[in-house]
Amino acid sequence: MCGTKFLRIIFIILLVICIQLSPVFSQDNDKISYTTYYFNDSGNNSVITTSFSLAKMIISGTAILLDIELDKVSLPPIDGSTGATRPARRKDKTFEKNRGQVILGFEQTITSTTSLAVNAYRSQEIDYLSNAAVVTLSQEMFQRNTTITLRAQYNDDKVGELLETGSLHNESKTTITGAAAISQILSASTVFDLSYDYMLLKGFLNDPYRKVQVFDANNAFQLLSENHPDKRLRQAVSAKISQYVDPVKASLIGSYRYYFDDWDVKSHTAEFRFNKYVFDDFILGFNYRYYTQTGAEFFQDRYALMANPLEQFRTADYKLNPFNSNTFGFNFRFLFRKFAENNPGWEFLSKSSFEIMYLRYTNDLDFSANIIQGSLNFAI
Amino acid sequence: MKKILVLFVAFLISACAAVKPWEREKLADPIMEPQSQFAKQKLDDKFFSSREGSMGGTGGIGGGCGCAK
Repeated sequence: MCGTKFLRIIFIILLVICIQLSPVFSQDNDKISYTTYYFNDSGNNSVITTSFSLAKMIISGTAILLDIELDKVSLPPIDGSTGATRPARRKDKTFEKNRGQVILGFEQTITSTTSLAVNAYRSQEIDYLSNAAVVTLSQEMFQRNTTITLRAQYNDDKVGELLETGSLHNESKTTITGAAAISQILSASTVFDLSYDYMLLKGFLNDPYRKVQVFDANNAFQLLSENHPDKRLRQAVSAKISQYVDPVKASLIGSYRYYFDDWDVKSHTAEFRFNKYVFDDFILGFNYRYYTQTGAEFFQDRYALMANPLEQFRTADYKLNPFNSNTFGFNFRFLFRKFAENNPGWEFLSKSSFEIMYLRYTNDLDFSANIIQGSLNFAI
Repeated sequence: MKKILVLFVAFLISACAAVKPWEREKLADPIMEPQSQFAKQKLDDKFFSSREGSMGGTGGIGGGCGCAK
């Protein structure tokens, strides 16, 4: 709790300082952005997120990245749902918690076409702690028409369970991530991106709050804790093509991702985005996303009690169900280019923008959500 | 499969004519979403990965939070 209050104060101070100082200390490609989004779903869960990002060149060839994110999470009282992922303590009351996240990183230009970035990540909430170290290497080639990016990340997490007594019980989880991406300029109006992600998770991979109904031969059930395997290998391949459509001053962006893991979950994600200039500095965008996945090999609608329940993999995680989802959205983006041109003293806003986005998410498990996001971006 | 992917990437790179820096104005246009990318990555990492059984492909950093259990 104290950690997130501290982060809020730092957040506000940094935002004010950076906006005040940006015209004085700005360098090419320095960026400041402020984003807030609100999410609520059909389960009456809601999250309000506020984040601040700063990318700034501090000396020639060295840039600093600072990203702070604050979540306020609200989870409803438990109504008997075994899939609820919140403490059972005070179950007839709404559970509220705050989460604070900080990413601090440095990017160093090694040659004119090579850069190396090192980031440290920390996320903290009352019942979850995550620390990560990330290293990213980028190499531009073929007259900067091709960019290859390699990323390695190590996460060390503490998965906590807030007990009825108010004390906290922790389990450990580690994640090793490797990612490779290539971005290729195909023409003056087309870019193609291809990426591959590899994630190996080990340790406690359950949700300590979720309970599973397990039925005996007499159709009576017990509530047992979720029991997932202690290892999961996850991989994803994705491709994206971005096309500028000159005659109508619009863009078409299409992407596809194939995901697969050793729990036998496989998924396809296809997304399509269309953006168009309505006026010189006003962009209207539409997007649609389709998602379909298979279930985990140990997923069952109804679990039967085994002789040794400790040996039985069981889950109440709806994310391991087979299901499809659809997401529709639209966004407005206002650019400050003309405003900066026409107002002396405000030239630093020439590459800045304000964006607001709405998404409607539904799946065939009777789950739906609304997301509203607003961003203020200063590229100076 | 891997060989096909490597050959495809090699073909893609070799078949492209180099686009000079002064010809890339359209690629840097806001309509191509270069600035929105970070916010979108955050949204993908936070929302979709905590509501669906898949992760990755967004290029984002993080993933460690109670929302993704």
